[in-house]
Amino acid sequence: MSALVLLDNEAVQSLGDPAHPKHRQVLSHIAVVAQRKRLAVQVSLAVPTAVRVEAGWDRTDPQWAFANHLRITDEPLNESQANTAAGVRRHSGVSVADAHLGAVIQASTSSKVTVLTSDPEDVRAVAGSRIVNIVPI
Amino acid sequence: MHWIYIGVYHGMVVRSGMARSEAVERIAQLLDSSDAETTNTSMRLPRALRDAAALAVQELGAAASTTTLTSAALRGVLEAILMQAVLDEHYAQHPRARPSLGELAVAAAELDGHPLASRPELLHQSAAEIVRTHPDADADDVLLWAEARATTPA
Repeated sequence: MSALVLLDNEAVQSLGDPAHPKHRQVLSHIAVVAQRKRLAVQVSLAVPTAVRVEAGWDRTDPQWAFANHLRITDEPLNESQANTAAGVRRHSGVSVADAHLGAVIQASTSSKVTVLTSDPEDVRAVAGSRIVNIVPI
Repeated sequence: MHWIYIGVYHGMVVRSGMARSEAVERIAQLLDSSDAETTNTSMRLPRALRDAAALAVQELGAAASTTTLTSAALRGVLEAILMQAVLDEHYAQHPRARPSLGELAVAAAELDGHPLASRPELLHQSAAEIVRTHPDADADDVLLWAEARATTPA
């Protein structure tokens, strides 16, 4: 059983700024993931690249060095996901970043998908038929 | 004499701190590397562990090979160690960023989709109780403790 934890725009923004009001809350989830990984639980953190663009996370910018080291992998917007995201955006009217988030959720092969988000309604809208654990921040 | 002591102590702390940061950076680079070249290693594994891994691969389909199984397990542990080191460094620079045990328990409950995620006050209270007798308790310990409290009649 594997678990995937995805970050939305505000979750990413909060990671990049220690003064952000939700910084500690998001770190608490990252810390629990680290603890679980230590216990050999198959859990990973990821961010859709369109979300990263929206949040301004440039991995070459030293300002993001802390977030870069938290083992949060990129979910790239490849051809297949771009098609899914286009459909999600057409049906839900969400942002490009949220549409990409929806495409990642729907394509995930993980047995459990969790999203840290400040907009649970949008995540529900883009998840399609996929059951997703939504954690409001 | 006193000066020398302070100088040596300061030097050790600074040198040790730099080495740690450099090690974290290097581990991150190595884990990110796409270099799939393998190497024979002189690392010695207990024979029973090696045989158990071989059986898990052959009979349970745990992975494509014992090498894959071992590498995946090692990668997971190294990632966890790296993440914790990075978090610890961050907390040292930004003490207010460190989550409390109660906050970690809430996060664990939320990640699990646990019903107690909707009762953060109980989780915070349980965290405060459990550290009195178990100072090294973690978020999952608090969750278990809170679960027991929630199901125990008053």
